[in-house]
Amino acid sequence: MNFPLSFWDISLWLAVTAIILLITSELISPYYGKTNILINKKRLKNVSLTMGILFLITVAIRIYGIITST
Amino acid sequence: MQEPYKLIGCTILLFGALSLFFSIFYEHTVLALIGLGLTFWGALTLYITTEKYVKEILLDSTLLPTLANMDKILTELGYQGKAVYLPPKYLKDPETSKVYIPKNKNTRLPTPEEIQQKEDKTFLKNPEVALITPPGISLSKLLEQTLGTTFTKVKLENLQKNLSKLFIEDLEIAENLEIQTKPTEAAQKVADTIHVKITNSIYKDLCKEARRLTHICGSIGCPICSAIACAIAKASGKPVTIEKTESTEDGKVIDAFYRIIEE
Repeated sequence: MNFPLSFWDISLWLAVTAIILLITSELISPYYGKTNILINKKRLKNVSLTMGILFLITVAIRIYGIITST
Repeated sequence: MQEPYKLIGCTILLFGALSLFFSIFYEHTVLALIGLGLTFWGALTLYITTEKYVKEILLDSTLLPTLANMDKILTELGYQGKAVYLPPKYLKDPETSKVYIPKNKNTRLPTPEEIQQKEDKTFLKNPEVALITPPGISLSKLLEQTLGTTFTKVKLENLQKNLSKLFIEDLEIAENLEIQTKPTEAAQKVADTIHVKITNSIYKDLCKEARRLTHICGSIGCPICSAIACAIAKASGKPVTIEKTESTEDGKVIDAFYRIIEE
């Protein structure tokens, strides 16, 4: 009864999700012309940035682990 | 309208949670990945809700008669002076905006104290002037609300950055907004003429229609030009006039020229 994914699996999943969301958020940004997608673009941008930050936190943890282990 | 999205979101979230639970129970990696994905996208569907949109054509149908009426009243009463957007110091309530329209072209702008005494009235005597609420006041207040501060606290130099963000990103009023200030020779003056270029705004059809209303286009301004005039008057703290407005044949590009009056 263990969660089958490791910390690094989650990190990779976060990276892929963040990239998808960041690209989507940028593509539907009002700065590149009006799009007809009727969703709250601000919230999508916030979620994509949060996912990106979460991934960077996992990277920071990894770097910290490498530094402290040597 | 939003109910089906909520139902879909909840269903995805439920399947995701079940998948995650079984992945822990059976220690299955693929199930865990599916569970993570479904849970995330389910939550995302619930969080990123659709916004309520109205058709652009409704704007023109509701606003144009009001503007036409205002133009007709001012034309029939013979008001020929240039509309002046008053800064907060001229008014009792600094959060509001008023337009000062003199009947004769050469009427001088009174002192703030003189206007404050008669502020409650619309048509004033000696000199004959109209003190009306600008058509863009609500839009201007919405801009302030979205910005989280009043334009009185925004410096004129920072107005371009703030207005561009508000118009393009936050409220999606236009595709692009550029503000150019033309400095004057006198060192104490910050700016004299301000050129605002609005590209593909949601008010483009209204602007096209309003061109035939002499008191609106180029004097009081359509709601979008009026809102910008209110913002400039508040940010500069000085009276502002709309010198002229130009737009392309299709109305996609609107050029508005504002002048800050030195008192």
